[in-house]
Amino acid sequence: MTSDRVERIYSIALRLYPKRFRNSYGSAMLQAFRDARADRSLSHGVVARTILKDLIVSLVKEHLAMLREAFGRPALLFNAFVLTGISTILALALYAIPQQVLRQGANDPQIAMATDLAVYLNQYGVTDGLSQGALTARGGGIVDMAKSLSPFLIVYDDKGRALGSTGQLDGQMPAPPQGVFDYVRAHGEERVSWQPILGTGHGVRIAAVVERVSGNQPGFVLAGRSLREVEVREAQVEHMAGLAWIGMLALILFGTVAFGWFARPKIA
Amino acid sequence: MDTRSDPGAPLTPAVFAILLSLAEGEKHGYLIMKDARAPEGGGVRLGPGTLYGSLDRMMRDGLVAESGMSDDERRRYYRLTAPGRRALAAELRRLDAAVKSARSLGLFPNGSRS
Repeated sequence: MTSDRVERIYSIALRLYPKRFRNSYGSAMLQAFRDARADRSLSHGVVARTILKDLIVSLVKEHLAMLREAFGRPALLFNAFVLTGISTILALALYAIPQQVLRQGANDPQIAMATDLAVYLNQYGVTDGLSQGALTARGGGIVDMAKSLSPFLIVYDDKGRALGSTGQLDGQMPAPPQGVFDYVRAHGEERVSWQPILGTGHGVRIAAVVERVSGNQPGFVLAGRSLREVEVREAQVEHMAGLAWIGMLALILFGTVAFGWFARPKIA
Repeated sequence: MDTRSDPGAPLTPAVFAILLSLAEGEKHGYLIMKDARAPEGGGVRLGPGTLYGSLDRMMRDGLVAESGMSDDERRRYYRLTAPGRRALAAELRRLDAAVKSARSLGLFPNGSRS
């Protein structure tokens, strides 16, 4: 290879260095390269190996140094960190607020139904009240909890045994966890999300309101309905909040990179 | 002023070789490369990229200063600053202590325990 061609290849390789570095030292580097090639004490092989290794190592080093200069500024990183924190809180709020509204709203029909039936049974007692058709007057047939979104009612005696219901799962009347009845005994009412463990397990989750029936024949009234539709909406909200979060992070990343690049320190 | 993040830290072979070369006086890039390559200069094979990258950072750290430039900008001359001289002295003391320790352990081929 002729001397001119080798020099031309090296001067082309110099264009790979960051602009600031190239402008400052390009000519001096090319001169050092010429001096090395002209140095009779060095073989061409040694010069070629040294220059090649130097090109690879120093190119990586100078580009990393340039990136550090552009983006490694504490103020820039702090701003990106704060914006990431704010966007994360916003995304969490975007998810948590609608999720709570949906979940609380899922209890609305059950609250009225449970209160209405509990008031009636307070007057007549759970056994007598049921025998007088308290449930048939309030339900239009048996609700299949696994499939239907309609609300249903279940009446329990004071020991938590189901006495009657307008809803069934696998032909049975499910009971909430025992702790729920203990809580209602002490506090009068409880609202729970509960997954009945019956049959083959449909994975159906119930939003339930449990109220205490006092008087001569005490017991409990449970009004519930499947959370299936609410959970679908919650999943949509989660999906949208997740997309919004990723979008905000991408925007912050883009803004930080763009700002860091245009506002990078100019060193002559 | 030496503005390195850790002024007491050992110098890299390239920085040490450059400081040692400039301790003799002002020099341009290729002369520094040549001095660094010699065993007594550190035995470091510096290429132009590593040399000027190191000089750029050393100037920012205040260890060396550019003292001149040829009209065509092909040759840039550098000199040692006072902080550079102190950094070199500190490194030489560190190496001297290490050499003394190695000598006392009989690690030199022709050396003996003192």
